[in-house]
Amino acid sequence: MKIVKPKKDAAYFLLFVFSFLLLWEWLRPLKELTDTGHISIFLSFVFVSLMMTYFNMPAIPGALIKIIIILYSVHTMFYDGAFFSFKWVSGLFTEVISNANFIVNANWTEISNEFRTLLFFILLWLLTYLISYWLINRKQIFVFFFMTLVYITVLDTFTPYNADAAIVRTVFAGFFMLGLLSYYRMGLKELAKKNLYSAKKWMIPLAAMVVLSVGIGYAAPKAGPIWPDPVPFITSYNQDSGEGSGVQKVGYGTDDSALGGPFIGDDTVVFSAEADGRHYWRIETKDVYTGKGWITEKSDTAMPVEFRPEQPIPMQPFEPGGVKTEERTSTVTPKIGYPHLVYPLGVKRVDAGAGYSSLQFMLDPETEKITSLPDGQSGSFGPYSLTFDYPVYSVDKLKEAGKEDMAGEQNAAFLEKYTQVPEGLPERVVNLAEEITKDKQTWLEKAQAIEAYFHSNNFVYDQTNVAVPADDQDYVDQFLFETQRGYCDNFSTSMVVMMRSVGIPTRWVKGYTEGDYLDTADDGRRQYEVTNNNAHSWVEGYFPGVGWVPFEPTQGFSNNVQFENNTNNTPSTTVDNQEDVTAPEASKKPDIPKEQVQADKPAASVSERLKNAGAFLTDHFGKILQTLLVLAVFLAIMYRLRGNWLPAFYILLYKGKKQNKYLEKAYIVLLKQLRTYGLKREDGQTLRDYASYVDSFFATSDMSRLTAKYEEYLYRGEREEDMWQDVKKHWENMIRKSGA
Amino acid sequence: MRDQMNPVVDRILGNIDKVMTGKRNVAELSLIALLAGGHVLLEDVPGVGKTMMVRALAKSVSAKFRRIQFTPDLLPSDVTGVSIYNPKEMEFEFRPGPILGNIILADEINRTSPKTQSALLEGMEEHSVTVDGVTHILDKPFFVMATQNPIDYEGTYPLPEAQLDRFLLKMKMGYPAPNEEMEVLNRAQRSLPIEDLQPVVSLEELRGLQQSIKEVVVDESLKRYIVELSGRTRSHSSVYLGVSPRGSIALMKAAQAYAFIYGRDYVIPDDVQYLAPSVFAHRIILKSEARFEGITPEDIVNRVMARVPVPVQRLVK
Repeated sequence: MKIVKPKKDAAYFLLFVFSFLLLWEWLRPLKELTDTGHISIFLSFVFVSLMMTYFNMPAIPGALIKIIIILYSVHTMFYDGAFFSFKWVSGLFTEVISNANFIVNANWTEISNEFRTLLFFILLWLLTYLISYWLINRKQIFVFFFMTLVYITVLDTFTPYNADAAIVRTVFAGFFMLGLLSYYRMGLKELAKKNLYSAKKWMIPLAAMVVLSVGIGYAAPKAGPIWPDPVPFITSYNQDSGEGSGVQKVGYGTDDSALGGPFIGDDTVVFSAEADGRHYWRIETKDVYTGKGWITEKSDTAMPVEFRPEQPIPMQPFEPGGVKTEERTSTVTPKIGYPHLVYPLGVKRVDAGAGYSSLQFMLDPETEKITSLPDGQSGSFGPYSLTFDYPVYSVDKLKEAGKEDMAGEQNAAFLEKYTQVPEGLPERVVNLAEEITKDKQTWLEKAQAIEAYFHSNNFVYDQTNVAVPADDQDYVDQFLFETQRGYCDNFSTSMVVMMRSVGIPTRWVKGYTEGDYLDTADDGRRQYEVTNNNAHSWVEGYFPGVGWVPFEPTQGFSNNVQFENNTNNTPSTTVDNQEDVTAPEASKKPDIPKEQVQADKPAASVSERLKNAGAFLTDHFGKILQTLLVLAVFLAIMYRLRGNWLPAFYILLYKGKKQNKYLEKAYIVLLKQLRTYGLKREDGQTLRDYASYVDSFFATSDMSRLTAKYEEYLYRGEREEDMWQDVKKHWENMIRKSGA
Repeated sequence: MRDQMNPVVDRILGNIDKVMTGKRNVAELSLIALLAGGHVLLEDVPGVGKTMMVRALAKSVSAKFRRIQFTPDLLPSDVTGVSIYNPKEMEFEFRPGPILGNIILADEINRTSPKTQSALLEGMEEHSVTVDGVTHILDKPFFVMATQNPIDYEGTYPLPEAQLDRFLLKMKMGYPAPNEEMEVLNRAQRSLPIEDLQPVVSLEELRGLQQSIKEVVVDESLKRYIVELSGRTRSHSSVYLGVSPRGSIALMKAAQAYAFIYGRDYVIPDDVQYLAPSVFAHRIILKSEARFEGITPEDIVNRVMARVPVPVQRLVK
């Protein structure tokens, strides 16, 4: 086909301007959404490329100029020194080689910025070429225009990029281009009458219509979105914190400023431990509740304290003489190299194994987070053993503790810090807390009443159907009054807020549960394995004269805290869900459904196995769905593109087949292929008639030759040896055509 | 892609072409009927060359050509022949009628009385005539080409439908195209060239051809196709009387002959489809409603053919 290049008039120039604008729309969001810098350089490259096409620059000099521009741009972005010294070229060359290796090894994260920039330039080059091809040869731009719209709308919907203006710009430029190109196409079709379509007659109504339609579109009232904006959800998903909102993998994370959203289980082992008894593992506490999550108040006075392994840890959770303690030890063997330590409440000393001569620790007194500094810098180490005071709380002393003990100047700041609630906390949260505790006299009773409240049947432990609070919603309020469905963060945060509402100093503690019980060693020590699934959060309340006392509001969890009733002098244990604490199996796996716990038992009955299978399905539902979806999409694409690969497949299939019966099979396949192609054979149409129709369509004679042989095979019977071999060539020609 | 024509047939058709302009398809169909051992009913207005066609065909195969001009007063004996007393020999002597030829042109067959018509039709069917108790076997090949004038209705005795069934094919000549007609005029200026026509095939050869047609393969799938076609004409909503099994046989035989003249020793669906209107149309009686709607038997055949699937796969036995 001869390409008729349009006259270089203003309209033609406008086409390129609008192309440039459309391409610009592709580049705009990059700055906002990715770490791409130097957008202006890329943009100039696009501009120069389009201008070259406009001025009909011959291909080879044009390519040379583009290469020089690319190299120069890469140089200015990444290399020092003069451009013409060419010293940097060898650097770039080795860069390219090593990055090619990364690509071959699918080592995507290693790819350097230089190489990415280079690739991006090449991509832009291809894009501008494609656009020029569409403009000049095809005179069609709809596909690109449509793709631009899809790109922008998708970005607008699923990323923070705001495309309000971009849509208007794109529609404007796109409509103009469509109109201009259809003008050129019409000119092509009716060359003789071209003067009828004078540019003016076309352009003025076009401009008016574009302006009018964009104006109407802009001014017209628009329906509200059908689904809520997914962006907050997605952005929270992308943060790699363990406990932000959005769908996350369970585990320890540092950012708790936006809680909520579902969890995905993760049984990666974090550490294994050997302990005298069952206890939770703390990492840190947080004190400021924002309405959405937890942050740490930065104060200038509390400086990190450094200490060495043999020194006592400067942390005093209990008032002197307030708690009866018994000294215990635990040994931790980390499996994931976190710089922070995990430790039980009441920890006194950390002992590292041999080989850590310069080991130091740093305690943040605000959060009580202990960071290990093996070589002066924060890093992981292990195994280590912990010596700690295991508290046995005296109920009598706890009952005595109350507000009156907190009076005084020195306690005011403490009280204020640990009874903080956000200003916007809905009134009904406070009301509920007061309602629950109104008959209780002491802090202990109040705390226990609040704790017990969460164990009522209204609350459901759930990891998946967990809401993210809306912009104007309080996390605790949503859980207490709307969803009543959630996991440890919901329960613990709510309890902290309610206890603070009634004036009890409380803090929020993060860490792990005791872990999965593995075995009991010969010396009677228990071995645990702690996985990401065991990540947990709970509550500690402060009782004057006693110290910090842990509480466990989360349904289905129990903390091994011992309370001593002085009247009968036998230690009694409060266990949140009435389980026998001495039985190690009773240690619940926090984030694994019950069914799976049973799956570990050796003799599983059929019904149990079925249950397990069901549990497996529900557990991996997402993955299965994902796989099926990917498979379905793949199959759909393959089906859609079957015209491209089926012929090759059939040729391969019948390649080695020599017997005549394959003539029939192959012919029937060909008929099907041709029908898919759009050449329909009527029921009453004979093969010969159809063949001549097909041949006239493709301007071949293969189909008739093939059909003559097939007719003979079909209506006369098999008399020759190599009927199929004789016409295979024709068949292959046809089936290839049927796929094109 | 056309098949190579049988050389003998090609010779005959070439010979006919010397006197007939155009009308190759009519000549072809006539030859099919001749080779398949059937008879032809030509329905057309006078003066389009019906007689010429038959004479040319007869001359080409050096057959005995007889012509019977049917009139209302024609008697059966005028067709079959009579026994007359020979005073010299003192006995009755059979004087053969025109039916005792090889190729007979029965002109305007609908103008004679049913009695005379049936004399001819009996001969066509039985291949013999009985006069005064003596049966005379007719020569082979025996080929009747009857014509009938569709525009005269007064004083005609239309052939009963049952009788029509005995014709293998019914066809129309149709007017020649203008350029063909000019060629007809040119030829008419010179002389009637039919007198110069020489036979190109002997009767013996013709009988041989008739024999080899029976060898042409008709695949089971095609037999089923033919049966399906005639079956559908019977159940068609516009049809009062559909195609008889004799019609199915006729179609198969005609298709064999057609395949043969195109040099094939096997029948293909195209043969069947090409011949079906000529073989089936005169065997179909439409309901009167359908006739009033302007539907013709040819329409029915074409509709049936469009609906019955052509066999494109081998029958699984």
